Amino acid sequence: MENSLPEYRKDRGLSQQALADLLGVSRQTVISLEKGRYDPSLPLAFRLARVFGCRIEDLFTPGAEE
Amino acid sequence: MEASRQYKSRWGRARFGGGPALLIGLSVGCGVLLSAGLGALFGLLVAQERPVLVGLLFGVMTLPATCGVFWAFFVDRKTLQGATEDPEASIESHWYDRAASAAFTDLLLVCGIGATIFSLTRLTANVGLVLAGVIVVAMADFAVRYWSIKKAEG
Repeated sequence: MENSLPEYRKDRGLSQQALADLLGVSRQTVISLEKGRYDPSLPLAFRLARVFGCRIEDLFTPGAEE
Repeated sequence: MEASRQYKSRWGRARFGGGPALLIGLSVGCGVLLSAGLGALFGLLVAQERPVLVGLLFGVMTLPATCGVFWAFFVDRKTLQGATEDPEASIESHWYDRAASAAFTDLLLVCGIGATIFSLTRLTANVGLVLAGVIVVAMADFAVRYWSIKKAEG
């Protein structure tokens, strides 16, 4: 799954730690999400969408193999 | 979130209220009681010589673990500095689940092979030592798997 989390985060001037604090997860989780190494649970995906004020589909898109 | 940070501390606070001092005092107190009980049992049931000294040593050796267990039982993790609010959603939880699942499969394999060898060779061994060995293998296996997953995906 591909995502545009780094762009959304940088647009809002948030550090990885600040985003992690807003989501209630570890900074490593944000790093792994941005690198596409971790697919979030549905509740976490909804929290991300709420933080950035967008839809989940705006943040995550299926990768080429999916 | 800022307000909630004000009552956070390194050792946290108890689930039922009070400051860190109460939590630490309660944990140490309960730990001392449990360790004293364990030491007395060990001294009475196991020690062949000098039961008081053996029981005392056993109690002292188990004290850090019993205090830690009571602290973990009493602490409200939301009051710990640096603790994530939703650890289950964090990737560390995902790594933990995968490492634990793989370690469980390995443990079944090790126990199966061990049981077969013991049955075929009619070997006998101390049950306590065998169980301790199984625990060590399980912990080591989990640690190696967690570390390798973290290194590959972290």
